[in-house]
Amino acid sequence: MRLIIIACLFGLTQQTFAQKYLTREAYLKFFGSTPIENIEAVTNQASSVIDVTTNEVVFQVLLNSFTFEKALMQEHFNENYVESEKYPKCVFKGKIKEAVSLSKTGTYKVTIAGSMTLHGVTRPIEVSADITVEKSTIKLMSTFVIVPEDYEIIIPGAVRDKIAKSMEVTVKAAYKPV
Amino acid sequence: MKNRTTIICALLLVFSTSTLLAQDELLTLIDEEETTEDAAINYTTATFKGTRIVNMQSSEIPSAGVMQFIFMHRFGALNDDFVYNFFGLDVASVRLSLDYSPTDWLNVGFGRSSVTKTWDGFLKLKVLRQQTGARTMPITAVIYSSMNYTTLRPGDGLSYTETDKLSYVHQLIVARKFNERLSLELVPTLVHYNLVPTNTHPNDVFALGFGGRVKLTKRVAITAEYMLQLTDNNTFFNQETQQNVAYKNGLSVGVDIETGGHVFQLHLTNARGLVDPQWIGRTPGSWANGDIYFGFNISRVFTLVKPKTPEEPW
Repeated sequence: MRLIIIACLFGLTQQTFAQKYLTREAYLKFFGSTPIENIEAVTNQASSVIDVTTNEVVFQVLLNSFTFEKALMQEHFNENYVESEKYPKCVFKGKIKEAVSLSKTGTYKVTIAGSMTLHGVTRPIEVSADITVEKSTIKLMSTFVIVPEDYEIIIPGAVRDKIAKSMEVTVKAAYKPV
Repeated sequence: MKNRTTIICALLLVFSTSTLLAQDELLTLIDEEETTEDAAINYTTATFKGTRIVNMQSSEIPSAGVMQFIFMHRFGALNDDFVYNFFGLDVASVRLSLDYSPTDWLNVGFGRSSVTKTWDGFLKLKVLRQQTGARTMPITAVIYSSMNYTTLRPGDGLSYTETDKLSYVHQLIVARKFNERLSLELVPTLVHYNLVPTNTHPNDVFALGFGGRVKLTKRVAITAEYMLQLTDNNTFFNQETQQNVAYKNGLSVGVDIETGGHVFQLHLTNARGLVDPQWIGRTPGSWANGDIYFGFNISRVFTLVKPKTPEEPW
């Protein structure tokens, strides 16, 4: 009986020792353009983990780590739009749909399906990504579009012409084994 | 007993393979990594909307690389032939100012006020920033100094030296954003006049300012400020009563409206002077007598030096 328990616990620890790749310096950019004004914000402080045994991917970023071209835009982004004091993080949890083996070197075009939580709203999301597996690094690149209003981020009429309805997001992350 | 163990083992296995749990586990991995490093510093931002509450300086300064233009306007008093003076527009007083922040903790600027035809130069130095996280600081502290030079031609035929035209204001602004809605500040103030009307008048006037704002919506706030003078004998000769009466304390209430790069501040105040030594220690008007001036401040910011953004890794 003890053996069974030990075996089970061993099974559990196996899971936690599974091959995981991590980065705390993932690059994220979002960009929205209107004829009046472009909005671009960048951070290189997003965190992400890929589990190559389960093909799961998670991302987490502190919203106040984004830098804007104009300081006032940054203040408004944090204070009025994403309300980063109330909802400090944006979190993505997903799983690669294709049956790829990321423990082998190569380049993979994949689709990651999961959910994104932003501004207290969680929505399903599916993005395509390019994953390059090298000897001891994994590189992930992805671009996709999000609509702020989907996450109850309200853009008032007065600035409606200046803020794009949808934002193009670029992700570039280089992982190292944990 | 054996059965129970098997069930527990089965449950353990189910949980350990559950996708949802596994993804959350990946997130805990990130959090663990994050807590092992120094927790990030969270600076409190936007304690006030504008760099002034109404007349009084707030604890805000524009960010590094930002130039700010402020247009301040005070119309004629409500009790001063209001309609004849086209709702005060005919007798409006104006101050224009331009300032620039070379860093996030320093702001320098100058302005020109129509009342007493005064030029002023000022600097604001942020010495403490309210923050949480790795370090906790409950307040923001800012040192403010201004030098004021009046170019008004003396009407009394006497000759004055250049230094007679100067006056100085020094303030320590201690502010706290209590929550998303409420911010308050306390402003110990010293005004020094090189020239005073009589030898009984104090050259140094000490005062204590109180200011605050309450946000109504994300972009609209109610503001108020009061400058309590602590020095006696700061009086003026009232023509009507033929008596020396104390200068009044400046009391102002207003509304802040923010739209993109502008902050509109609309207010009512008993102080017509726009330059510091005037509104702090030379305000004859009182709310009780109806010496109430409608006014506005409009600010516009221009980004001269863009903040550094992280570069794309490849």
